[in-house]
Amino acid sequence: MRGYTWIVFKKELMDTFRDRKTIITSILIPILIFPILTFVMGIAMQGLFDDVESHVPIAIIGEESGVAEFLQETGIVEIKPEENPMAALKDLDVFVVVEIPVGFNETLKLKNMADLVLHYDESSQKSTMALGTVQGLITQFQQEIVRQRLIDLGMDPGFVTAVKTESRSLAEGESGNPIGAMLYMMLLPLMLTMWSAVGGIPAATDLGAGEKERQTLEPLLATRASRSQILFGKYFAVVVASVMGMFASLLGFLLATILNPSVLASGGIIPLKAVLVIAVACLGLNFTFSAVELAISFYARNFKEAQTYLSPITILVMIPAYFTLYLDGKLIPESYFHIPIINTIAIIKEALARIYDPRHLLIVGIWLCVYVGAALLFTRRMFNRESVIFRN
Amino acid sequence: MIKVKDLTKRFGSFTAVDDLSFFIPKGQVFGLLGENGAGKTTTLRMMATMLQPSSGFIQIHGVNAIDFPEDARAHIGILFGGETGLYDRLTARENILYFARLNGMELKVANERVERLAMQLEMTEYLDRRAGNFSKGMKQKVALARSIVHDPEIMLFDEPTAGLDVSAIRLVHAFIRELKAEGKTIVFSSHTMTEVMALCDAIGIIDRGKLIEFGSLHDLEKRAPGMSLEEFFLHRISEDRR
Repeated sequence: MRGYTWIVFKKELMDTFRDRKTIITSILIPILIFPILTFVMGIAMQGLFDDVESHVPIAIIGEESGVAEFLQETGIVEIKPEENPMAALKDLDVFVVVEIPVGFNETLKLKNMADLVLHYDESSQKSTMALGTVQGLITQFQQEIVRQRLIDLGMDPGFVTAVKTESRSLAEGESGNPIGAMLYMMLLPLMLTMWSAVGGIPAATDLGAGEKERQTLEPLLATRASRSQILFGKYFAVVVASVMGMFASLLGFLLATILNPSVLASGGIIPLKAVLVIAVACLGLNFTFSAVELAISFYARNFKEAQTYLSPITILVMIPAYFTLYLDGKLIPESYFHIPIINTIAIIKEALARIYDPRHLLIVGIWLCVYVGAALLFTRRMFNRESVIFRN
Repeated sequence: MIKVKDLTKRFGSFTAVDDLSFFIPKGQVFGLLGENGAGKTTTLRMMATMLQPSSGFIQIHGVNAIDFPEDARAHIGILFGGETGLYDRLTARENILYFARLNGMELKVANERVERLAMQLEMTEYLDRRAGNFSKGMKQKVALARSIVHDPEIMLFDEPTAGLDVSAIRLVHAFIRELKAEGKTIVFSSHTMTEVMALCDAIGIIDRGKLIEFGSLHDLEKRAPGMSLEEFFLHRISEDRR
């Protein structure tokens, strides 16, 4: 980058980062949004867990039994005397209703299998979660009965446990929060792709349509700088703004994993090799989308029109991003590496799964070069068209 | 010196400028008079090499502007529209310096020139303030300084007083007179007759893309004795449309 391109680039960067709106939308909000979101989610989730893990109000239908006593003794369950237990469940005065059929105690005494019915409300999160808690406690109750029966028979209670399992994850640096880690692995590629694609929109809007609206484009075109030099100066400024926006978002995401590991656990330390692969893939999107966004912005008559034209880009990227949300990084179909945007997500997912297939890297690398080249040609063509530049 | 020959610009089937030819010697102020949509801005845009002519020839200060637009632009300063825009987040100095640098000036030379222009246009006080909060008059001064920072031989003004208040209009007029005194060649489009009469050495009347009159004020007076410029303008336009 030399001469007039450099002058335009420096000015545009200075202008862009003096804009409070850009600083707020491209840097501050992306840094803060994830930590705040996970913080709020964490509080809400903790509230939910606290409600159903430490205190579960239930009602009992049927004959008195040791089950009720057992549940009460755990200290987790509160048995409420309800006249109409099912109505109480509906009103969520109780989260679960335990129905003890007639003859339950007798069946247990005879060392037979007794039935127990648990009623819950599927439409209520608390009731659904409470069901799991009560089921866990009843499992303990029945294990205790089985243990006692074996002892009565003079047998070792361990006799019925033929296989004991222990889970160990292959992933380096276990988080201790498998759901949070899974969420991290699902969300990170989606977010990286989104931020890479849309991070340059505020800058592109200002540098294209904004220039028209301010009436500074004509004096600029009358300087000694060629159109290409002006265009590339602006383009690189949009790319830098886009990359900074992406890094700000990534920083916010990583901060969220540190500040709220109960919600969003990091999937362990990402090796440098994977970071490099991900960075190159994201840069490919940054370069491609910055060019397209600048071209669209120049086509627009004014700032507002540019915003209208550019906002669907977010949706355009969201479709493939959500399509691949549940895609396993180790089982990616070959054809995905040829589909725009999806191939970038695929390569990010592979890198996160510590897979570096040279063929996949080459295919996606070639495609990214093609996208950047095509996007730049398109943008240059647009910027050189009088009907675009002077479209008023 | 500006030489325009057989200049035509078509947008699809619409001919915005039709076979325009004129010559403006060095140091003259040439006023291009015409109604809205007559082709004034398109002509000036082609002269400033922003638009590519469909056919014809433009020579700016001896440079073929069609084949060597970037070289031609080195000799041109422009001021388009009345309320000329600035970069609000840049200071007045940064606004002017940016254009100085894009016109090939070394930073040190450009800085000295900005200081000189600031003194001349009495804007030293706010030279290092951001342009966003400037009054119209202050903005106009910065825009004027920006257009001449590289000391061009030729100035193109497209309706430079449109939408301006009286004091800003006076400022622009004084600026054009000063440039004329310095020997600059000026092309100046307007639809305000008094302005053209007060500032121009030669006048061209443009209607529907065609130059229907061209000559000095004296020539025009001779062609329509007893008529004011406004009457003559309307008379020629109606005659041309008949």
